[in-house]
Amino acid sequence: MNDFAQWLAGTQLSLAIQVRLWVIPTVQSIHIAGIGIVLASVFMIDLRIFGWAGRDQTLQQTTRRFCPWLWSALVVLLITGVLMVIGEPVRELMSLSFWLKMSLLLIGIVVATLFQLALRRNDPNWEDEFSSRWTTKSLAVLTLLIWCSIIVLGRLIAYDHVWGSWSLRPIV
Amino acid sequence: MDITTTLKAIESTGLAAGIRDSLYAFPLIESFHVIGLTMTFGTIAIVDFRLLGLASAHRPFTKVAEILKWTWVAFGLTVITGALMFITNASVYFSNLQFRWKMVLIALSGINMFIFDRTCGRNVNRWENDNAAPPSGKVAAVLSLILWISVIFLGRWIGFTTTGQATEPEINLDDLFR
Repeated sequence: MNDFAQWLAGTQLSLAIQVRLWVIPTVQSIHIAGIGIVLASVFMIDLRIFGWAGRDQTLQQTTRRFCPWLWSALVVLLITGVLMVIGEPVRELMSLSFWLKMSLLLIGIVVATLFQLALRRNDPNWEDEFSSRWTTKSLAVLTLLIWCSIIVLGRLIAYDHVWGSWSLRPIV
Repeated sequence: MDITTTLKAIESTGLAAGIRDSLYAFPLIESFHVIGLTMTFGTIAIVDFRLLGLASAHRPFTKVAEILKWTWVAFGLTVITGALMFITNASVYFSNLQFRWKMVLIALSGINMFIFDRTCGRNVNRWENDNAAPPSGKVAAVLSLILWISVIFLGRWIGFTTTGQATEPEINLDDLFR
């Protein structure tokens, strides 16, 4: 991985990002704004599952309102994320936080997809029973925690020293 | 007491020193700052998009705006974590241009919200079922989005213009489990 990161850091595109000092902060800011859309969308669906907000809408309506925003924001996050990896390959790819974040991201996406499919497959009458299940509620809380952990791990990429000897960085 | 001594006094408090000396405090506080600010921005965006008629257009505005109570909770978290980061290096942040502009823009967002409440928001019952707010509401929504996105940019920029933590202590995590 270190060889790959070193190779990537030497590519034209990476060098183009590295010499323009405004690119990384700008891309990071867009990335953060995108996270805002994702987190708020997940939160809105969770609040609806708990019946704490948006009760004038069904769960299906709420999901239909927020899922397109969630997926579009994730695409923005993917694009800006890839740009950050290309711009600073060693910092990202050689950080334990980055790989933990990617693993949680995968889980978050799988849970969101399964949730959406379950809602689509069943008729609207089913959703009241579905939301009142304790498994649905715990999954809702777990999902929010997963996305918050993704944010924490994302920030911790900048502080890889917190992992001490678990850090993936080659010892210099 | 002038501002320089005040800032120095803030930096030398036990709390500020404790955060500075800890390996994990600052990164974790900063992470929670990001959670708070993304939630603040995301929920505000939901309301702004509703004002513009870009999303939730069929729902009454007052129903959509109910989310704002959660915005305040998230904003509270962001302010507290922001203050905790500020005290660790108060004089550097205080003299940082990006930090100053960020504070100005947050204040402007507040003023924008206040004006909206006093004008367009006052007769909300007249338009809350329309697909979009009247022009003054749309202006407030666009201003709000521009201001908050700029706040995010400036905030990120602070990290690139202040030196931050000068020393990174070495630690071996394995020692913790020995």
